[in-house]
Amino acid sequence: MRRSRSSLALLCGAFLLTFSTTGRPAVFGQAASSQKANEKSASATTAAALKPIELDLEGLKSLLRRDPKDARPLLINFWATWCEPCREEFPDLLKIKDDYRKRGLDFAAVSFDFAEEVERAVPDFLRQVKADIKPYWLNLPDPEPAIRMIDPTWTGGLPSTFLFDAQGKLVFKRTGRIRPAELRAAIDKVVTSDK
Amino acid sequence: MRKHLALALALAVVSLFVTGALAASSLSFNGAGNGAGAGPATARGVGATVADFTLSDAGGQQHALSALKGAKGTVLVFLSIQCPVVKAYDERIEQLAKAYKAKGINFIGLNANSTETADEIKSHASTHYTFPVLIDRDNKIADQLGAERTPEIFFLDASNKIVYHGRIDNNRDKAMVSKSELSDAIEAVLAGKPVAVTETASVGCTIKKKKSY
Repeated sequence: MRRSRSSLALLCGAFLLTFSTTGRPAVFGQAASSQKANEKSASATTAAALKPIELDLEGLKSLLRRDPKDARPLLINFWATWCEPCREEFPDLLKIKDDYRKRGLDFAAVSFDFAEEVERAVPDFLRQVKADIKPYWLNLPDPEPAIRMIDPTWTGGLPSTFLFDAQGKLVFKRTGRIRPAELRAAIDKVVTSDK
Repeated sequence: MRKHLALALALAVVSLFVTGALAASSLSFNGAGNGAGAGPATARGVGATVADFTLSDAGGQQHALSALKGAKGTVLVFLSIQCPVVKAYDERIEQLAKAYKAKGINFIGLNANSTETADEIKSHASTHYTFPVLIDRDNKIADQLGAERTPEIFFLDASNKIVYHGRIDNNRDKAMVSKSELSDAIEAVLAGKPVAVTETASVGCTIKKKKSY
């Protein structure tokens, strides 16, 4: 009796752990694999690090959250490997990310790739463009809440790029391929001037 | 005994008040939440009337909206032959178009991508759709309507007023669909009822407009 009770407690604990790591009740296999992806991506810049980290709505929210003490603006790009202008602009975004990192700019690339393609297509493409980033992937049964969270006026066209200042206020947006000079000018206004 | 009964009664009354107040406050909270999350207003958004326009199909033949529109309403759908999201929806769009044509709702495809040729559009349309696909050269109609991506829907009632704008449904994987806002809107119009959800957002390909490329 005692033994069965303790194993029940263990089972409950396992349930809680699975739910809390994914932030939502997911299929067990999925939850485990996304957790694995998390661990791998956190560890250095190996090939496996380019495997996208799965985000749900809460995950996106915490990615957007700005810490007032850090004063770091966020450049966030929504893309997919199936989107041609997304692929075309990616090297420009990587260059901008590198140029502004020392001036306090955070960068995130969030993929909307199809579930059945994401594990292979995203790392393949990122390797091809020599991206040294921690990629994210939004996996939602309905993308609308995420789209609205980013910007209520965005209707979901890809690519779309948004710049949030250090306070988390949306200060620049562009749907369609970025114009690097225009984006740099917008970033210049929100980053610190000292290099 | 009577005292107890009175006390119980008083307690019941108080708890009724409390639950009532709680329900009211949560209602007003929900109301505020919905207001804040209201959909975007496009330049020519929901409620606007679309003026008649004429565009040519891939064969060069001219068609006016007034000639192609349905007696009960018209679905304008911005398409692309390259966009994988449109590809995922091709079958569903055609099924909807077929199902509603008999009920007086006509579908009209619009291709505003400067990167896609008339020949490609023609061969794609002939193998996938039974409804006409018009070429929106220089994205004139797309700009007038405020269309940005494919697939993107503008559903017009019989008087060409936009009554729904947005997506077909909530998932490009047919097996995962749980909300079908376009057919809900069409059904509402056919039943003479107001459309409940008039604006939705979804992931799609940006229209490759001439000016932006």
